[in-house]
Amino acid sequence: MLELNLKRRAFLERSIAGFGLAALSNLWGKTIGAVNPLHHAPKAKRVIFLYQAGGPSHLETFDPKPKLAEMHGKPMPESFTKGQQIAQLQGRPLICYGPQHGFQKFGQSGADICEHFPHIGSVADDICIVRSMWTEQINHDPAHTIMNTGSIITGRPSMGSWVVYGLGVENQDLPGFVVLMSSGKGGQNQPVAGRQWSAGILPSKFQGVKFNSVGDPVLYVNNPPGLSSDMQKDTIRAVNRLNQLQHQSLADPEIQTRIAQYEMAFRMQSSVPDLVDMSKEPAHVLEAYGAKPGDGSYASNCLLARRLAERGVRFIQLYHRDWDHHGGVKDGIVSKAQEVDKATAALIRDLKQRGLLEDTLVVWGGEFGRTPMSQGGNGRDHHIKGFSYFLAGGGIRGGQVYGATDELGYAAVEKPVSVHDFHATMLHLLGINHLRMTVKHQGLDVRLTGISGEVVKGILA
Amino acid sequence: MRSAWLMFAISPLLLGQSVSFNRDIRPIMADTCFRCHGPDAGTRMANLRLDSREAATKPNRRGQIPIVPGDPDKSLIIERIFHTSEARVMPPPYAHKELSTAQKETIRRWVAEGAKYEGHWAYEPIRKPSGASIDELVSKRLAREGLEISASADKRTLVRRVSLDLTGLPPSPEDVRAFLDDKSPQAYEKLVDRLLRSPAYAEKMAIHWLDAVRYADSAGFHGDNIFPAWPYRDYVLNSFRDNKPFDQFSREQLAGDLLPNATEEQKIASAFNRLNRVSAEGGLQPKEYLAKYGADRVRTVSTVWMGSTLGCAECHDHKFDPFLAKDFYAMKAFFADIKETGLVPDRGPKAWGSKLLLATPEQRQQLAALENKLAEAKARIEKAAPEPAPALVESIQKAYAAGAYAWQIQRPLSAKSANGATLTIYNEEEVDMMPYYGGVIRGFRAKGNGLVVASGPVPDRDTYTVTFRPAAGTWKSLGLEIVQDETLPANAVARGGDRLMLSEVELMAGQKPLRFTMATSNIADQSYQQPPAAVIDGDPKTNWGPITYGENKNLFLALRLREPLVTDGKTTLRVTLRHDGDIRKGTLGRFRLALNAVEYAWPEGTDVSTDKKRPGGLPEDVLRLAKLPSADWKPEDRKAFTRFLAWSDPKLTPLHSELAQAEQAYFGLDASIPRSLYTEATTPTETRILPRGNFLDDSGAVVEPAIPEVFGKLPTQGRATRLDLANWIVSPQNPLTPRVFVNRIWRQFFGTGLSRALDDLGSQGEVPTNPELMDWLAAEFASDWDMRRLVRNIVLSRTYQQSSQASPEALAKDPDNRLLSRQTRLRVDAEIVHDIALAASGLLAPRFGGAPVKPYQPDGYLTTLNFPKRDYSHSQGPDLYARALYTQWQRTFLHPSLMTFDAPSREECTVNRTTSNTPLQALVLLNDPIYVEAARVFAQNMLAAPVRTLRERIDWAFERALARPATEAEQSILTELYQSNLKRFTQEPLAAQQLLTVGEAPLPAKVRPAELAAATTVTRAILNLHETITRN
Repeated sequence: MLELNLKRRAFLERSIAGFGLAALSNLWGKTIGAVNPLHHAPKAKRVIFLYQAGGPSHLETFDPKPKLAEMHGKPMPESFTKGQQIAQLQGRPLICYGPQHGFQKFGQSGADICEHFPHIGSVADDICIVRSMWTEQINHDPAHTIMNTGSIITGRPSMGSWVVYGLGVENQDLPGFVVLMSSGKGGQNQPVAGRQWSAGILPSKFQGVKFNSVGDPVLYVNNPPGLSSDMQKDTIRAVNRLNQLQHQSLADPEIQTRIAQYEMAFRMQSSVPDLVDMSKEPAHVLEAYGAKPGDGSYASNCLLARRLAERGVRFIQLYHRDWDHHGGVKDGIVSKAQEVDKATAALIRDLKQRGLLEDTLVVWGGEFGRTPMSQGGNGRDHHIKGFSYFLAGGGIRGGQVYGATDELGYAAVEKPVSVHDFHATMLHLLGINHLRMTVKHQGLDVRLTGISGEVVKGILA
Repeated sequence: MRSAWLMFAISPLLLGQSVSFNRDIRPIMADTCFRCHGPDAGTRMANLRLDSREAATKPNRRGQIPIVPGDPDKSLIIERIFHTSEARVMPPPYAHKELSTAQKETIRRWVAEGAKYEGHWAYEPIRKPSGASIDELVSKRLAREGLEISASADKRTLVRRVSLDLTGLPPSPEDVRAFLDDKSPQAYEKLVDRLLRSPAYAEKMAIHWLDAVRYADSAGFHGDNIFPAWPYRDYVLNSFRDNKPFDQFSREQLAGDLLPNATEEQKIASAFNRLNRVSAEGGLQPKEYLAKYGADRVRTVSTVWMGSTLGCAECHDHKFDPFLAKDFYAMKAFFADIKETGLVPDRGPKAWGSKLLLATPEQRQQLAALENKLAEAKARIEKAAPEPAPALVESIQKAYAAGAYAWQIQRPLSAKSANGATLTIYNEEEVDMMPYYGGVIRGFRAKGNGLVVASGPVPDRDTYTVTFRPAAGTWKSLGLEIVQDETLPANAVARGGDRLMLSEVELMAGQKPLRFTMATSNIADQSYQQPPAAVIDGDPKTNWGPITYGENKNLFLALRLREPLVTDGKTTLRVTLRHDGDIRKGTLGRFRLALNAVEYAWPEGTDVSTDKKRPGGLPEDVLRLAKLPSADWKPEDRKAFTRFLAWSDPKLTPLHSELAQAEQAYFGLDASIPRSLYTEATTPTETRILPRGNFLDDSGAVVEPAIPEVFGKLPTQGRATRLDLANWIVSPQNPLTPRVFVNRIWRQFFGTGLSRALDDLGSQGEVPTNPELMDWLAAEFASDWDMRRLVRNIVLSRTYQQSSQASPEALAKDPDNRLLSRQTRLRVDAEIVHDIALAASGLLAPRFGGAPVKPYQPDGYLTTLNFPKRDYSHSQGPDLYARALYTQWQRTFLHPSLMTFDAPSREECTVNRTTSNTPLQALVLLNDPIYVEAARVFAQNMLAAPVRTLRERIDWAFERALARPATEAEQSILTELYQSNLKRFTQEPLAAQQLLTVGEAPLPAKVRPAELAAATTVTRAILNLHETITRN
């Protein structure tokens, strides 16, 4: 990898001398990633991860549990809960809490989905619901960390960084790993730390770049007041000519990189505003998503995600916070459904219509699920033994339900899928063998999947 | 890079040297064999261990001998590594680890030469080559490759290099001139000694230490609130300034609190043990977080002082190094005496656990006196409190039932902001509400009912004026209901900053000002340091500053009038709300005004869950007594009611005024005295080995504090302490610490350590490129622990002073400069990128130590922080222009410009910053307001300088940024830039004006905007040069 870098530098040296600046290619990372050639033919080229932060209740979204309804108000059988980790319900009586909403069958596949998600239901035949996810971490921050990095050790790269590291970028004017963030109106907006999209031990050029709905869409992407684009260009040209003079006397490849980065920065200054400018999106598209440009909502971010995907951005991660329903899970789910249902389905349909779904992997899910037991009489606590995800697009066999939790929705018992399994599968779809993409750190061959993880073959097309 | 280095490692073989286990064999085996045949008994396969000669030379169950010294053909490992069958070859294909032919041959030759094992180099005693020097040892190593030390860099390069390396600041033109003019042989040495004595030296050195000890200003988990760690940072600064010996420096940090008669400074030093991230999340499991805190300490201590990855042994025995899980927990046990809780409160008087009050003796006396006064004032009220006589209680109950206590919400006639915000009145009109209630946020529309909503621009400070015309009546109190709403970024109540800051509330009836005697808030604890009396004291410098989150009700402030106010239905009242505080933008977002006709009305307002009116007027613990006959009260009910009576009795008002004054005086002083985290020792908690690191599993053995077994045993009687650990760390018995430290220091001056992995001198790290040099430096350092002498030795060496230009030969034989055939050009660290721009421009405001500062930061950067919701308000005055190391280090959202230039978040110990080169860095230097402002001030100073021509001006600026004049070619590029911009700015004067408004530094009195703006583009280009942020 590093050797490759050196050769590449040498190549750049020559190209500078030979063809001038125009020959410089993008330096966000490398158009060719560290995994070159890919380990096998990829099914997907990019990922859109619709990350539902806070821990959506599987019991009111994708995992119907009639038995739990029957048990409503009765003590949770100890056989389920003995010796298990519990967050806020520690030391409290554990009482079954029946599903708060009904389920309906959707699509030809007849998947059971909560009635408050009819739009997602309308694309049921495109999605694969996984009802047997489980994780290891029961508090938000560590649970996000393991979901993103496969480890709870701080400093491990986020999966988006891994993917860009492995595959390189397609678009030279935009970062390869983009993070979007929206808040819900339910007031359960748990903090999400910037380290969740950190490149960790990978070079920092692989870190996620967060786009903002307030102020500059990318930090510092706008010119200082009073400076037009032309004037900015003049200054950058002067800087680069001066740097070029230095390079002529020192032949330092870092200077050459710096020159290229200033050019890239300038291109970003026009490509980013163009990207986030939704004024040219037709009204029917805005309507389909329920997006109001500039409002920073989940719906607008879904539309932005499509625009990013179109432009070849490799890994797009949307966080929608506010799923932490310790209280008021019934109303909370309705409120979240109003925020995410329509836009999620619109995104899948839109990608499909544009032919992008076939090589885009779409993932929907959070850091954990919620307890079948009640908290405070109307809520649910954090829960790690079983929860639901859905996947769609590149390489996924839609119209199926995979795996199952037990009859009370407590633990994934049928075909359980760990976080590492999920990561392994995602990398597999991208053409990467998770065992073979490693980076040396403190003597370890660090990989996204740690020391376990199996490709979940049953969900593949 | 790694493979390039291996080439050197193997070259001695080609030269006919014998194979060395440490140099040649261990790196191969560590990479390919030890995972399954190493120290970890848990994962060892075929019961074969290759890291120990004793084990590897014993026959296995089948009688085969893995290694027969001197006889490769009889050695099983040789057979297996050369095997051609996929089923038999080692390492097995599934391990994805293949040995090269050269590596196999090396192993065969090592076995043939007798399979001599060596202890791991870093754990061996330090052997100092006698009579040597840095240059001699470097030359010797270079000579093996036919290379030699390069010529010295030119004097301008050298003065900039050594200034940046030692102080993090570029040399002033005067410094450069003095050095150029000093032709004496001691010129350089004099320069170095001057730099080493400057306070800036301490600032530069501190940056790297602070990374290692994961110093930050915020808690790191959950709400990531600000905690008082900066006195520890100042301890580090002072230690470098005073050149505190490293052994003492280490002892004080690990165990300053345990030193006999520990001084305040030593206790502050012990804050090192408290710099780990902590959480205040309600649902956390204390055991889990205590395990996290302990593990963090083990990782930090083992990385910072031992260069060891002992952290890997949290879940299992180490895979490659001789550390057992037991060693991890025994190390953790040293810290089991630290007084702490799993959930660490993040606000209120108990926030952050053990804190040291850093008061002067006078302040202590004053505090004690004020505390007495406070107690006396409270006692006087208690004494004078009326008894809840049944008749009195009954009359209050009746009045309450009749609605006499209800706050009369007022309908404003007008509401105006003095500084440009828009205030909108919602009386009958509907408005969106988003209050937090019952653990969730409710969104609904309701009639405003007198609500005033601020919108539009958010000024730093503002004064609101609201008029209203109450019904006829006699009024005793004015109420201010602060309506919380999730759309408000600061605590859901203020429009910006990190809290509400209300300086004064004034009331006028017509032209007549009315005075208040008491100010009471319904949520008192959250503003204990800035109590509400501040809003009626007539002093704009004092503020009511409640920090709120998670409250299920609106803040409400009741202001008792000195004289009853009689209104006839036509009287217009005017309320003025002043926000003049130090925290910018802490202005009210939504509020209502109310009047009350009884003295007894407690500040409680509308029901936030529905925003329907509720009567309010009684505190919660009294409310339920309103309907309960006093005969049925319990003793605590009587107490609560008595407290309420004492508060509400008009006769006691003067006593309450005294109390409020005493509170303000006490908390005013209290809040002005810094606190520091520190370590308070208590009875050690039991430490168990947690199987696989699982905090729920109590089945592991109890361990006592101990150093890793491989290093022997501490000679302590009884339970060993942190001080024993510290003493061992800096004892001659520990060969690691000096090596680890000199290796890290070496990287500061050459870009790479002598052993590349600064955090791992174990078997997976790198054998030093020059082991003799490593040991020479380590021995020198350990002889007196003099950090400044170590640094001085390094920068005075010819090796350090070399030119960074590589000869073709050096480039070919030493491509990565690991053998030091030249210097290396380095992009300066994030903080220094900032400091160079400020220093060159003349904007830098020197200071030494002090509370953290808040530079400009993009709006909305903290929006995903919560508990509380908060916004950012930047510092003012000189604090805006402090060196970047003083930036408030917010762990989960580090200042974006620092982060972009690779400053670590310091959530964890970091000893090896990366150096990236990205487009985001270009955007920061081009567009972050501090760099635009620096360019503008740089240009102002350039235009004011005693030089005349543009050419001279460009040279003037170059000297400050780059320590050299511009070349002809550079002059012509910048002249062109200046002329074209001057033309444009002359045509577009507005554009020039706009550019010059960036930043808060004043413009000169007389300004020609087009000229200054054009000059700013020139200085801005200079500040963006690669050379400017590079030390050559």
